[in-house]
Amino acid sequence: MTAYDPCAHCEEMMQPYMDRTITDAERAEAEQHLDGCTYCRKRYRFEEKLRQFVRQAVQQEPMPVELKTKLAGLRTPL
Amino acid sequence: MCGQPYVYAEKALVGWPEVSETTREPDARQLATEARDRVRFEEDALALSDQVYRVARHLVGSREEAEDLMQETYARAFRSWRSFTPGTNLRAWLLRILTNLNIDRGRKQQRTPDTQPLEEGDYFLYNKLEASGDGASDEDRVVERLSQNDVVGALSEVPHDFRDVVVLVDIGDFTYADAAQILDIPIGTVMSRLHRGRRILKQAMAESAVGGEEA
Repeated sequence: MTAYDPCAHCEEMMQPYMDRTITDAERAEAEQHLDGCTYCRKRYRFEEKLRQFVRQAVQQEPMPVELKTKLAGLRTPL
Repeated sequence: MCGQPYVYAEKALVGWPEVSETTREPDARQLATEARDRVRFEEDALALSDQVYRVARHLVGSREEAEDLMQETYARAFRSWRSFTPGTNLRAWLLRILTNLNIDRGRKQQRTPDTQPLEEGDYFLYNKLEASGDGASDEDRVVERLSQNDVVGALSEVPHDFRDVVVLVDIGDFTYADAAQILDIPIGTVMSRLHRGRRILKQAMAESAVGGEEA
């Protein structure tokens, strides 16, 4: 049997924690660990920034104007 | 203006069974209401096109594919506008059409392989980026070692089934429930694919940003 590793457990809980899909008790447990663990806290802060960065990175390519015109051209003629 | 409703009357009856003698013609007011609803639907759908495109662009591999898919989607949406229930989520409705079309055209050749690469844990990307630096930099700036190209390129490498969910939830801002409805899969599947998809994405970003460098 492997010993319980709180950081490995925190790593597993990171996404559900950020998505707020865990119970209040699990949340409290995660927060207690993050408060006392620099290793996991660094990684948690990184994850928050990463999500923002990914969102910004993919939004830098706007819809081409010509496409917008083509879509409008598909409307039912009056 | 007075002849306008009849244009819709003709179109509305195309493909329908022949009208029997006992069937009453829809009255002009009804047709005018339908025409107004259709115009409103089309305007609402077009107003969402930027948001739909943002998702479409990352569901497929290239800009050209995304543009084709958008046109097919809007053509179908404008034809099937009556099947949309007013007051429900139009953006999700449009994306459901789009993802179905995407699966129909070409996804058959790109099925997710049975054996998925074993993804690393959630700390993998941070560990890789941190190790690739000089060790003296501010931990909050580790994310700056990634470029826009790292993200876009990595996203295109995530297998489709996982990418669909990541794009809808993390880029399209859809809830798990909306994503489940759009993709016609159970919510539990959305959650598990999202979990794995994000890890696969992070692994691909690490490879793109750090490459073969050994940590």
